[in-house]
Amino acid sequence: MQVFKLQKKGFNEFLEKVRSSYELIAPIKEDLVKFEKINNVKDIHLEKNSYFPVKEYFFRKEETLFQFDGKKFITPKLKTPTRAFFGLRRCDLAGIQHQDKVFMEDVNDPYYLEARKNSFLLGYHCPSAPSEYCFCGSMNLEEFFDIMFYDHETFFLAEIGSKKGEFLVKKFSKYFSKTNEIISEVEKTIPGTERLEKKDISKLYDHKDWKKGVDICLSCTACTALCPTCYCFSIHDEISIKNTKESERKRSWSSCQVPEFTKVAGDHVFRQEREERFKHRIYHQLDYFKEKYNVNMCTGCGRCIEGCPTRIDFVKIINEME
Amino acid sequence: MKLKVGFYGITGCAGCLLSVIFNEDEILDLVDLVDLKAFPFVKEVNIDEKFDYVFMEGLVADNDDLKTLKKLRKNSKFLVSLGACASTGCVPAYRQYTLKENYEHLIYKKQKRLQDLKASPIDDHVKVDYYIPGCPPDKKEIVNFVKNLVIGKEPKPFESPVCVECRQNGNQCLLDLGKPCLGPITAGGCDAVCINGKFECWGCRGPTKDMNLDLMIKMLRDRGFDDKFIQDRMRTFVGLKMPMIEEYMCSTGTANRLKTSFKGKKEYFE
Amino acid sequence: MERQKTFENPYLPKPYKVLSFTRESSDSFTIKVDMRINHEPGQFVQVSVPGIGECPISICSDSNKYIELNIREVGNVTNALSKLKKGSVVFVRGPYGNGYPMRSLRGNNILIIGGGCGVAPLRGIIEFVANNREDYEDVNLFLGYRSPADMIFKKETKKWKKDYQVDVSVDKVPHGQSCHDMRVGFITDALKEMHLDKNNRVVFICGPPIMMRYVIEILKNKGFNDKQIFISAERLMYCALGVCCHCMIKGKFTCIDGPVFRYDEVPK
Repeated sequence: MQVFKLQKKGFNEFLEKVRSSYELIAPIKEDLVKFEKINNVKDIHLEKNSYFPVKEYFFRKEETLFQFDGKKFITPKLKTPTRAFFGLRRCDLAGIQHQDKVFMEDVNDPYYLEARKNSFLLGYHCPSAPSEYCFCGSMNLEEFFDIMFYDHETFFLAEIGSKKGEFLVKKFSKYFSKTNEIISEVEKTIPGTERLEKKDISKLYDHKDWKKGVDICLSCTACTALCPTCYCFSIHDEISIKNTKESERKRSWSSCQVPEFTKVAGDHVFRQEREERFKHRIYHQLDYFKEKYNVNMCTGCGRCIEGCPTRIDFVKIINEME
Repeated sequence: MKLKVGFYGITGCAGCLLSVIFNEDEILDLVDLVDLKAFPFVKEVNIDEKFDYVFMEGLVADNDDLKTLKKLRKNSKFLVSLGACASTGCVPAYRQYTLKENYEHLIYKKQKRLQDLKASPIDDHVKVDYYIPGCPPDKKEIVNFVKNLVIGKEPKPFESPVCVECRQNGNQCLLDLGKPCLGPITAGGCDAVCINGKFECWGCRGPTKDMNLDLMIKMLRDRGFDDKFIQDRMRTFVGLKMPMIEEYMCSTGTANRLKTSFKGKKEYFE
Repeated sequence: MERQKTFENPYLPKPYKVLSFTRESSDSFTIKVDMRINHEPGQFVQVSVPGIGECPISICSDSNKYIELNIREVGNVTNALSKLKKGSVVFVRGPYGNGYPMRSLRGNNILIIGGGCGVAPLRGIIEFVANNREDYEDVNLFLGYRSPADMIFKKETKKWKKDYQVDVSVDKVPHGQSCHDMRVGFITDALKEMHLDKNNRVVFICGPPIMMRYVIEILKNKGFNDKQIFISAERLMYCALGVCCHCMIKGKFTCIDGPVFRYDEVPK
């Protein structure tokens, strides 16, 4: 992969140029760190990993699938501006890559595609594990970015990962200088992120130690809302109050951690027990998804642990299983 | 034929009825959607006859309330409990958890009739078909409820905890900040409005069926709240419908007296 | 495996005309829809009522000129669908899912066990076998309903009785209902008395979960193995595309890996 050098001195200027060409979205710190549209590049916060994932920019919390005018369904015309995302960690990028697989490989989800297609993904390689809960080193994440920035003392090394990345380098060539430096495999790893031991959990489904997590689970769904990959949704219809013949079909995020997730007409719930729901998430992340897409759904970002009110550390639970 | 609808209130603050008319943008369409027979809070002429749906705000606190409630139940096909007072007893029912001497002198000596009855949610006395919980209910929820009725769609209660919407809204968890937030055990549907404003959840929409109460109490204790505080907080809005409360709260001494006045409302959970 | 790519909006239902509406029992009905698609028995479609929602309904016919859907009124969407009439428009997308692998089961004897509205997807097999009669050997049907009034496909059952061995049982006979030609008792009792050779025979079961559990227990006691048994699963479903995840049974998606599973492949 091609590598370029950017001096830190001119880096904000580069970002400002990106911001004036596209909508720039990067982590900023309010109460918590989250991805927001940037008005001033000085606000960008890179010290800490974002608490919230970036997924809502592609897979929206709630969106209209169609309108119904009384006779036919009308697909809304969407127009997402071209956006550049900066400050994406390896886990964020993997989350996008995995959602791409779900929404763009097997099916063509027009809503996701529309939000996703005009976007540049500018990564930021974590110099060290940004949170004590990180375990991306255990997840064998693939390289997935348009440009990845490696933080050095006075400069960034920029690795180009796609045609889109090359396009950006050309467009902002003033800031990218040629260099002979290479990025070694060692530099691509993040120290201290290999917490999860390699284990075949498919044989551990009935293990008694899951209870350690289940007992302290509130089923509050923080884990699924904060996961960069969790992509479950539900669909519902809403009628217009002006004319009850008109309606909208909407989809919104939903979470496998609540009983309603599997409730059918007649009020039967297929996953009623908290334990089943708890394990369903872990197994979907580390086992089921792999069957279908050949990659773990989990990206090892640790947000589900950091965001959990009781800090259920499933990594520790799995490691301690015999 | 439009649905014949009435909005009524018994003992309560009228906040839930206000929530109906706070739908400024939709209220005219809403009135158009149904045949609004009675709404004594805002309407001058109220035709008190047979209704398809009666929305009932407030709790039963005296014999007059009970009489009104029973009459309206008889006159309606479906009775909807509107708001926390009607559904759980809410703050007015709190008088059962404290000794008479503590509140009697405030107003009740003058208002003798208030002591006729135990303050209780309406489903202690009549059958309730639907609940719209909350103190006050979310105004959009009321509109959606009526819209669903009109097209014959069974309204479904929001059964997941407040945390679902709270986390999707990108809020910081108030439990992490050491606040006694009851979000994890409280049914949502309110768009986590309190936590959006950095105010912890007091549980006004009632407990979820799936709540992990043991854990919630443990978490609050771990954050330095004593049992008296936890008990009071959990009872404020839903005391009469929080099950098993004595089992956890025996240490505070009020438990024994509670047993006589508290009946676990199991039906609410089934 | 080649990936299927659909470039039209996969969530978009299309309008079709209702060709006929038949009331089956107090809480179920059958509609015939002018939807010309190739499909397998056991596959399902997503039926929409704008403003109310969408729900999966299995196809209970075998024809590429129309589809028939038997619908039980249990929820908002199905209640709204019961207001359809001949000539009205219904919004449908599909077909979805894995049907019964009838082509790979040629030459077998067939045993069909259905309970209540679970008979609907099985009717697809019965029609398929009738259309390809020479490919299959003996056909035996065991159908169970709560009461005679709950019985669906009354006319069809009469026809089936001419060609196949049909055993109808009802759990109970309430006052005022007659049970001509029916056995009173659970379908499981009928199955216990069954004397069918298990060799060279495949079994298709569909019905309430509790019934399926007991039926499978009986079949296993009679020496049937998991690979001979096919079941049809029911789950909450929104997208039917293998995306929304509500229908997952362990790692399998009911909407694309199912709804028909060979019993040894059911995630346990």
